[in-house]
Amino acid sequence: MAQVQDEWSLTAELARLELDKDEALILAREAERMRELFLTMSRADVDKLEPTTNALELNNRIRSDYVDSFNNVESLIEASPEQEDDFFLIPNVL
Amino acid sequence: MPQIPTIWSGVLSNPERKESYARQVREIDKNIGSFLSYNPDLTGSDTSEKKIFGGLPIAVKDNIAVTGLPLTCGSRILENLVAPYTATAVQRLEDAGAVVVGKTNLDEFGMGSSNENSALGTTVNPWDKERVPGGSSGGSAAAVAAGLVPLALGSDTGGSVRQPANFCGVYGLKPTYGSVSRFGLTAYASSLEVIGTLTRDIDLMETAFGIMSGIDENDQSSVSSDDSDLSIGDVSNVVMLSVAKDMLDNPVARAYMETGEALKAAGYNVTEVSLPSLDLVVPAYYTIATAEASANLARFNGIRYGYAPDFAENPAELMRKARHEGFGREVKLRILLGTYVLRSGFQDQYYGRAQKIRTLIRKELASVFSSADLLFMPVFPTQAFLKGDSEMDDFKQRIADVFTCLANLSGLPALSLPVSVENGLPTGVQFMAPSFGEQRLFKVARDLKDVFPLQIPPNYLDIGSLV
Repeated sequence: MAQVQDEWSLTAELARLELDKDEALILAREAERMRELFLTMSRADVDKLEPTTNALELNNRIRSDYVDSFNNVESLIEASPEQEDDFFLIPNVL
Repeated sequence: MPQIPTIWSGVLSNPERKESYARQVREIDKNIGSFLSYNPDLTGSDTSEKKIFGGLPIAVKDNIAVTGLPLTCGSRILENLVAPYTATAVQRLEDAGAVVVGKTNLDEFGMGSSNENSALGTTVNPWDKERVPGGSSGGSAAAVAAGLVPLALGSDTGGSVRQPANFCGVYGLKPTYGSVSRFGLTAYASSLEVIGTLTRDIDLMETAFGIMSGIDENDQSSVSSDDSDLSIGDVSNVVMLSVAKDMLDNPVARAYMETGEALKAAGYNVTEVSLPSLDLVVPAYYTIATAEASANLARFNGIRYGYAPDFAENPAELMRKARHEGFGREVKLRILLGTYVLRSGFQDQYYGRAQKIRTLIRKELASVFSSADLLFMPVFPTQAFLKGDSEMDDFKQRIADVFTCLANLSGLPALSLPVSVENGLPTGVQFMAPSFGEQRLFKVARDLKDVFPLQIPPNYLDIGSLV
């Protein structure tokens, strides 16, 4: 179990998730249960199948590449938790 | 010109009735909790505006953006966010005259089947307050079921419109993937999700879908039904999914069989079909959904979006703290799983395989629709379950998504409709059609409307009493 726990702890680190000790135990147990469910996919013969990435198999429509102005800057800055003049404020982390 | 139900025109054309309506919604919702925020501004609504939805009040799930209204996604991490723009689907309804009166509760970021994963409120089922409304669009379903609004928007990633609609006894539509723009829908699993509608009125559902759908330049994956050569045609061949008896609770199994009989009586040819890969649906769905969730939710890190802690020693700690304090357990679990299945060395075994199984499932469904016009199946194995039900823990809820997430993996449209009320709780079935086959779904729902008339829960807001 310790090895399993380490595996999920490493995954949490990669996901930038900090977990309490109790929470880490519960989540590792639940994640392991789901991983075992995922492993049941191994019985399917998928060798000759292409992966599906988009349900409709349509190509994305890409807009033409041109310079455009964005006129909603103020409301976006206002939507931030904190701001100063035209800047977002984030906690001091240096 | 307005195509809203006449009863609503009577309310909306009179200021005193509008006020009384809003007051009663507040009163009833104290016991249901469907809205996370309710701010009706019906003053400008007027049926004489000559707009199709002249003044029609609608509710919007709180993971869909509406300018000036909260966009919490049911999460602490976005608790204070106010949307600076409006989702295209909502904008189109507003342009047609609809008025957004509030934002409805949901499982955090749409992850759950009970609404119990909301960090910001509790919603109960209007049929039984000890039971869940379903999820993740549980607030929208409860609001419609209780008569608080005639129409609500939800999002459906693995059944999040159809399952709560089923638990609350209303219609729920998951449209064809891409047919309704996702611009303004907070992304959870981008290749699976779509904005859908919940209502008690199938005509209203069809009108709303017609208004919302179509290409949107802000969503590159949006498509038009004009791209399809599917016609409604002669809808006569319906196949019924073969389901093992022990998969369904008795009331659900009975409703399922009754629907088959009703279809035959209505003149449909009903045959049975099995899907060999049905037991691969849930593992493939959760592999893909969690992988996409881990990528989409990476943006909520206290810097780019969302809650930030007061202090951190460095940027990495800031992100970890923000996500630790801001996300609930189910969201953390899905991010964890998604990160795992995308990890170097594991990707082919999990994510790559799930995508190929998705192809397999799509092929099986294509084969079904080569000879059938519609496929029907249960929505969920049980009726609405009790709050905190240990018999239906989170893992079992995920397994129970087998019938709903089929439509999301394949991108096909599906509609859940109420069939019966047993033990004081509604139960229903769902129909699935080929891509852009929504008209077929509306047709069969109309054909069954008189056979299975919608029933009303206790404490229902009867709009007719206001007129």
